[in-house]
Amino acid sequence: MTPAPDVPAAPDGPSVSDGPSIPDGPSIPGAPAGFWRALVREPRRLVAILLWSVLEAAPAFLVGHAVARAIEDGFARARPLTGLAWLAALGLAWLVSAVGARQVVLAVAAVAEPFRDDLLTRVVQGALRRPLAERPDSAATARAGLQVELARDAFAAVVTTVRGFAFTLVSVVLGLLTLAPGTLVLVLPPFAAGLAFFLASLPALARRQRAFLLADEELARSMTATATGLRDIEACGLADREDERLARQVGAQRDAARALARVTSVRTAALAVGGWLPVVLLLAGTPWLLDGGAGPGVIVGALAYVTQSLAPALGGLVQGLGVSGVRLVATLRRIAAAAPPPPPAPPRVRPAGADVALRSVTFSYGPHSAPVLDRLDLAVPEGEHLAVVGPSGAGKSTLAALLSGILPPGEGEVLIGGVPAGRADPAARVLIPQEAYVFRGTLRDNLAYLVPGSGGLDGSVAALGAGELVESLGGYDATLDPAALSAGQRQLIALVRAHLTEAPLVILDEATCHLDPAAEALAENAFAARGGTLIVVAHRLTSALRARRVLLMDGPRITIGTHDELIRVSPLYADLAGHWQPEPVS
Amino acid sequence: MGPGDRLVADAVRRCGPWPAVLAVTAVAGAAGELAVPFLVGRTLDLLLARSSGAATALVLCAGVVAVVVLCESLGGWARGASSAYAAARLRLGVLRHVLGVGRAATRRFPEGDLVTRAGLNAEEAGRAPETVTGALALLVPTAGALVALTLIHPLLTLTLGAGIVLIVFVLRAFLRATTVISGGYQEVQGEIAARLVDALDGARTIAAAGTAGQEARRVLAPLPRLRAHGMALWRANAAAGVRSGLMIPLLEVAVLAAGGLMLAAGRLTVGDLYAAARYAALGAALSTSLGYIGGLARARAAAARVADVLALPPVSYGTRPLPSGPGTVEFRDVAANGLTVGDLTIPGGTVTAVVGRSGSGKSLLAALAGRLTDPERGDVLLDGVPLRELTRDGLRSAIGYAFERPVLVGDTVGEAIGAVPGSQAGREAAVAARADGFVRRLPAGYDTPLAETPMSGGERQRLGLARAFARGDRVLVLDDATSSLDTVTEREVSRALTGDPRGRTRLITAHRLATAARADQVVWLDEGRVRAAGPHDALWRDPAYRAVFQEGPP
Repeated sequence: MTPAPDVPAAPDGPSVSDGPSIPDGPSIPGAPAGFWRALVREPRRLVAILLWSVLEAAPAFLVGHAVARAIEDGFARARPLTGLAWLAALGLAWLVSAVGARQVVLAVAAVAEPFRDDLLTRVVQGALRRPLAERPDSAATARAGLQVELARDAFAAVVTTVRGFAFTLVSVVLGLLTLAPGTLVLVLPPFAAGLAFFLASLPALARRQRAFLLADEELARSMTATATGLRDIEACGLADREDERLARQVGAQRDAARALARVTSVRTAALAVGGWLPVVLLLAGTPWLLDGGAGPGVIVGALAYVTQSLAPALGGLVQGLGVSGVRLVATLRRIAAAAPPPPPAPPRVRPAGADVALRSVTFSYGPHSAPVLDRLDLAVPEGEHLAVVGPSGAGKSTLAALLSGILPPGEGEVLIGGVPAGRADPAARVLIPQEAYVFRGTLRDNLAYLVPGSGGLDGSVAALGAGELVESLGGYDATLDPAALSAGQRQLIALVRAHLTEAPLVILDEATCHLDPAAEALAENAFAARGGTLIVVAHRLTSALRARRVLLMDGPRITIGTHDELIRVSPLYADLAGHWQPEPVS
Repeated sequence: MGPGDRLVADAVRRCGPWPAVLAVTAVAGAAGELAVPFLVGRTLDLLLARSSGAATALVLCAGVVAVVVLCESLGGWARGASSAYAAARLRLGVLRHVLGVGRAATRRFPEGDLVTRAGLNAEEAGRAPETVTGALALLVPTAGALVALTLIHPLLTLTLGAGIVLIVFVLRAFLRATTVISGGYQEVQGEIAARLVDALDGARTIAAAGTAGQEARRVLAPLPRLRAHGMALWRANAAAGVRSGLMIPLLEVAVLAAGGLMLAAGRLTVGDLYAAARYAALGAALSTSLGYIGGLARARAAAARVADVLALPPVSYGTRPLPSGPGTVEFRDVAANGLTVGDLTIPGGTVTAVVGRSGSGKSLLAALAGRLTDPERGDVLLDGVPLRELTRDGLRSAIGYAFERPVLVGDTVGEAIGAVPGSQAGREAAVAARADGFVRRLPAGYDTPLAETPMSGGERQRLGLARAFARGDRVLVLDDATSSLDTVTEREVSRALTGDPRGRTRLITAHRLATAARADQVVWLDEGRVRAAGPHDALWRDPAYRAVFQEGPP
């Protein structure tokens, strides 16, 4: 017997991955459930897998009989043609089996592909529906998509090997039973012992594998951080600290790999016991079998069952469960942690008005962090044009997010027309953030994003002075490549999109920062002329000059008033007003 | 023997008893595996003949099987352990070397490449001992099997050879070579990922518009195409599986047939027939096991790539300690990389602004001032000592750097500033850099893990500034380090900087007029040389100097 060459080294696959930086969550019951659901979702596929498996397992049943009969009835009795006929039958069975194996792969694929689709859908939906404050960076989420591929391959491998093992085992047992039932006593107990030994080692193996993957990822992250930060490490004299950190993590990865190797050797031992011991016992029992009436051919046939069918099947199972199975569980857990089921959406209510009220609103990004907003009270009447100004980091964007309901306040409440902002119908307000969202699709789809099927685009395009842009892009039906657009072009598209809606409350969060001052003025005036409540988080002070009232944020303190009032009462505002003028050149 | 091979040999020598265990188990295991079919066949014959020697043969057989099992198990352990040790040793060597070479390493190898060499390549090179023994452990039994088969009867070997030719021929006719189709699959995968990243970048718009469901459908729109490509891949896999899965069983059948005919003719025993069938299976795997030679080639190539990194010359530091002094930086006849600085003195405790159009060499001057780059000619001195004669610690604790795009390293935000967690110095530096406020609003303040802290360019710059403030005892070099700050914050940082209570020498490269106006001295770079140095007011009379500030971002 030649056991399948073990995948070299402990990691069981390529090492030092750049896997997702999403920490493993606690065990999530949804993961194994997904496995079974995918398997039984289409019973037709499952039946196909089982039927083709019968064909695939044909030689596993036939091999002992064919060898025994070829010797006993053929070659040993000088009837070579009979012997050759049996062997020809065996060769034919192998060919049939190959066809069966091919069909099994395709049938398993037909289950694995929808499984992948499900996981990917879950990752995408989870990423898009996750509350803003809890999101990992977008690159990490995109990498989680790669985990889906690992899961698909592992899923297919587990289904294939476990199924193959079961069918081979049944075939061999049937074969031995019909060939010489006495052999079962010699073959099955040591085989079962090897199998039990392996299964018992599986949890430890899974633990070690997981520990290794974590250490490996941690190390990969560290090495990447070091490589990208070499200039800074050198310039800031951090080399010793980094050296120490890397040495610690290289050591941890090595220890994890060594521990894994130790458990893997148990796996190999189990495989050897299950595969070799039956051979020795069969030999030892030969005199007894001969006494029972078995011929030499029967002994060779029984040996063929063990070495040709049983041992390779056990090897496949060890590889399938010990490597792919462990990997499948690990990746499914990761995916479940990266994409938890989204929280249920609250019922949406259409507010009666477009006035905004903040009542004692406190917000901070973590339980131990200083609040961004501290017991803030604010009333914005319907039809108001309010500018929000302040130094960077003062919480202007946080305020915009609270006003539009995409961040829930820590304490207090944010009301739009009397309705909590988080429960207000999205159609009641529109938020245009600084990072304008443009997707791959036609310009028309992009513009009409908030009011699908909207016909009259021209009015809003003209109002915002976007006619030239529309023309240069090739009209409404041109397909956009977001990366090819400038930041200003993207902002203009987002502004037209907002202008098209009938939302009575518009929040522009530095939405015009990449436009030139003239285009910014045109855009803000267009929104002011549109009616409704307008809240502008200002990038330039000119936005404040256009507003009716100005809200000045500086840390948790706020001051509100007209431009002239603020110049008088707030030194910071006066400072801002003084320094936002273009610098003199001569 | 190339440098890569020496590297591996050295790593292997130093990883304890494991390579020895590996070698012994590989050789013993291979010999045992080769002996087993013969012994089993022989035992079978003796048992069938009810010979008295059968018991001894059986015990011998069991003994050899036990040796094989032990070798396999122990060998697996040794394989894992020896590669873990060898890889870790190689990897740490590479990483330490890279730290010693510093940023010059990324000039020679891109960052991703460095990580691959220290990560994957070190791992592969560490597998060299395992690959050698693994190849031996497979080649010895397979090659030996062919010899054994020939010894049983040469005709059987001929049958095997003829069978291989025939089967390869037949299979090739049935199964056309599959083309590379994984490209299409990866393309669709990439498309979905790109759509997802787009949508995640528009997270606020999507959250505000309540269109998450619609977006998910849009991102997943290419899914049917992904599945089509996926199924094509599976079909290719299945075809390849048929090819490899049929070979050995069919050859075994062929040898059984030939052997069976000889058995009928009385030229073989039943035991011989069994052994022949096993040797045929072992021998037919020769082509597969030859693939393991490829593993050795891979390990050597990987070792060579690791050795490339180790061949980079590390930065050498001197042994002189820094004498006490005000932090005066002197350039003496300095030229480097297209920039001629000549003689230039930056008096201790003063603020010097470096101005000039982009590409005029401002960053290079900043790099020279703190020995991030060595000049090709001349010397840079700090308080009278050439920088290259200073110890690493002396140099780095005296000069602090802040950059336009700082890369923050460390586990937490506090560690990234480079100060002892919770220390007063770190906090003060953060306050001066106007970073304290936003850091304290993070979920765990200074203890927030860096990886969980999404930062704007301005926030990152402020942490970079804090790191420089916390470190440089005598000199602070700020290379465009406030470019992303809004006007008010920039003014506050400048104020903290100008009024530095520790009176450090400050060298600031900037685009903004205000920076130059506030400096004690301005160094004006133009076309790779120092065009003038002096107070801003004096230079301002030159229209060409004024023109420098009309360029750049608004």
